[in-house]
Amino acid sequence: MNTATAFLEACNELYITLKENAIPTAWRGARAGSSCESAVCACLVCVCVLSACTHCFPFTRALCSFGLVFRTNHLKKPPAPMAGSDLRTVRFINTQLLGRRRPTVELVSEDEHDLQEDPAIAMNSLSTETTADREEVLFDCAELYEALADVEPTLFKHAHRSYLDYALGHPLPPQMKALDASQPWLLYWTACALRLMDPQWLTQDVQRKMVHKLALCALDSGPYCGGFGQQAHLVCNYAAINALALCDNIDGCWASIKREGIYEWLLTLKMPGGGFRTGALLGECDSRSTYCALSVASMLGVLTPELCEGVEAFLLRCQTYEGGFGACPHEDEAHGGYTFCAAAGLAILGSLRKCDTAKLLDWCSARQTNEEKGLSGRSNKLVDGCYSYWVGAVAAILEAYGLGESIDKSQLREYILKCCQSKERPGLRDKPGKSPDYYHTAYVLMGLSATEYSFSVRDCPQRIQSARLVEQPDVEPVNPIFGLPIDVLARFVDYNAAR
Amino acid sequence: MSDAPEFQYDDIEPLPISGGQEGELCQIMYDGEYRTVMGIARALLQKLEFSERALHATSQAIDLVPAFYTMWNYRFQIVKALYGTDGAELNRELDWLDEFTLNNPKNYQIWSYRQALLRLHPSPEFQRELPILQSMIDDDTKNYHVWSYRRWCVLFFGDFTNELQFASSLIARDVYNNSAWCHRMFVLKNQVPKGPPAEALTGELHYTKKQIELAPQNISSWNYLRGLYDEFLDGKADPAIMEFALSFTPGIFAADASDTGPQIQSSYALEFLARAYAKNEDTFAQARKAYQALSDHFDPIRKNFWAYKIRSLTA
Ligand SMILES: [Zn+2]
Repeated sequence: MNTATAFLEACNELYITLKENAIPTAWRGARAGSSCESAVCACLVCVCVLSACTHCFPFTRALCSFGLVFRTNHLKKPPAPMAGSDLRTVRFINTQLLGRRRPTVELVSEDEHDLQEDPAIAMNSLSTETTADREEVLFDCAELYEALADVEPTLFKHAHRSYLDYALGHPLPPQMKALDASQPWLLYWTACALRLMDPQWLTQDVQRKMVHKLALCALDSGPYCGGFGQQAHLVCNYAAINALALCDNIDGCWASIKREGIYEWLLTLKMPGGGFRTGALLGECDSRSTYCALSVASMLGVLTPELCEGVEAFLLRCQTYEGGFGACPHEDEAHGGYTFCAAAGLAILGSLRKCDTAKLLDWCSARQTNEEKGLSGRSNKLVDGCYSYWVGAVAAILEAYGLGESIDKSQLREYILKCCQSKERPGLRDKPGKSPDYYHTAYVLMGLSATEYSFSVRDCPQRIQSARLVEQPDVEPVNPIFGLPIDVLARFVDYNAAR
Repeated sequence: MSDAPEFQYDDIEPLPISGGQEGELCQIMYDGEYRTVMGIARALLQKLEFSERALHATSQAIDLVPAFYTMWNYRFQIVKALYGTDGAELNRELDWLDEFTLNNPKNYQIWSYRQALLRLHPSPEFQRELPILQSMIDDDTKNYHVWSYRRWCVLFFGDFTNELQFASSLIARDVYNNSAWCHRMFVLKNQVPKGPPAEALTGELHYTKKQIELAPQNISSWNYLRGLYDEFLDGKADPAIMEFALSFTPGIFAADASDTGPQIQSSYALEFLARAYAKNEDTFAQARKAYQALSDHFDPIRKNFWAYKIRSLTA
């Protein structure tokens, strides 16, 4: 048994031990920011389970020489509420606990500061779960903004690259099986993120391996599945096609996409109400699945009138009184992810102007808050880095079509660079206190791209153009409708148009 | 699962669950248990075995990876084949799903599976759905999929009786719960096809105003108030509602309002007023003043948007 195999065995064993004994109590306490002051041994690249209290798992440190990067963090006591805030009560909520009710620990700050400068009106008349959750985030963000006040924010590109390269260069730890039915997504997120930071970082070797892997995920008839031996799934097709577009037609791989088979299959997913559902037998039918169908068909050049029939009406019916869009056309709550799907879907259909664009612009703009500077996905919900793309892209689409300005891009960029990354751990995250993951790394970077360029559209949605807003952008420009670098998309679309 | 009967799978050769190629990208290091459980379930699926042991195999697979949609699809085929439209058996399946749902509140697949079961069921009951919905919302009051599923149920069963009361109870618990506010709009728009009767609308306006007085700086209640006017009152703000909104922004439109602006209780009230003023050329000056105050003092991060609104006043 060579060392690499031995290491994998050790990982498996560790994982199983953790799973069977659940997470040790001391470690839970540490994560909750309460009592445990022991060191935490955290893997820098593959997070989650391998993080453990060294009291309980002293041997985790021994593993790092095999390629995983470990780091020991000394946990701080809960930070004292900072000055310059009028928050008198800060609550630490232990979201890690699995219980039905979330216990809260209250800390009362020593000094009450009434702030002359604070521009926003506090939601302080009534304290509820919503305000308690938000106060916690405000506190974390304010702390970072204060600490980084004089720092010119930069993207920690090389750290993030190591995080992404890890996924593309190693077998993944067992707990990643949660993504077993979403394997094309993992390829799309990592490849897109690398390529946005530097087109050279997605190597030909990795592109070849991506093509191979995606071939394993495909049915003989053409459509893609979540992984080997699984059934076809609409949103996995979106991820697979986008991932293949990122492969630059290496070894002529684009010719192997069976677009007739995919097209025929898409037709079988069409529902009477005009939307598409994710699978032929079962699966949700909403603005997300419908967008995925439109994006795939548009990129492959098979967006036929037959396929599009009734789709516009379906998407338009998802717009709510708030201005954003929900999942289903029965007054579902306006939501960043679904709003992106519906707005981008309408743009693909050439029907964006048929929705209430003034209300949509208003809704997008209201997602940005003065204190956090980042975007939330719904009214009275918390800021989250991934909405930098979902909502930021809608703002970019509206901008491209000349339908108004809604986001303060430079402030959003500041949220991304100061609150969504840290020197301690590579990868990008939802918000301070959360662990990075591949999903957030991709969408936070795509959101960053939307803040560094302005967008305009000349003739069709696939040909959105960009102009720099910052002198030295950190990332390449992304097409905010398709979620791919602008040049990558253009080449793929040209290829399929000529096919 | 400890009381589950023992099923024999000795005759089943587990199928491989990965391509097995050297150097395959993003290979997950499956543990032995996962390989066995998934391998058996895949093998049963391949031969389309519809049996109790196959059903059990899908439970085990889904327990390990709840997002494994292929197993949900297979499970549905098994349930259809074994139970057809037998209500008692389908209720047992719903019981299993209730338990699973409580342990996996964020899962996507649960809800479309549940819809498919109810469509199959000969005598589905809304009553049977209420406890799980209640408990899921109690646990996570803004769980998107649960709210969406609840609306699907209300339409499927055509029963709106509990809904306003349900939304009110959640708004009483947390007035900032936007999901609950949206649910009210769902009821108003769908319960009566022609829209709510006048007295219902009056009651709803009254309710909303009371909630705003309780917590004036609340985007949810103000969006809802605007929604009521847009959806049912042609978007025309009447003097009474203007008076109401003005009561949260004292002095803001006074001729001598100073540069720093007075203190107001709600930036959303000011937004509401600005929007109303922007609809009529005669009140453009007030609209401009409101947008400017939002930009300068009360909501400066949205200054690009406020500037855009000011520019569109002249257009
Ligand atoms: Zn997120």
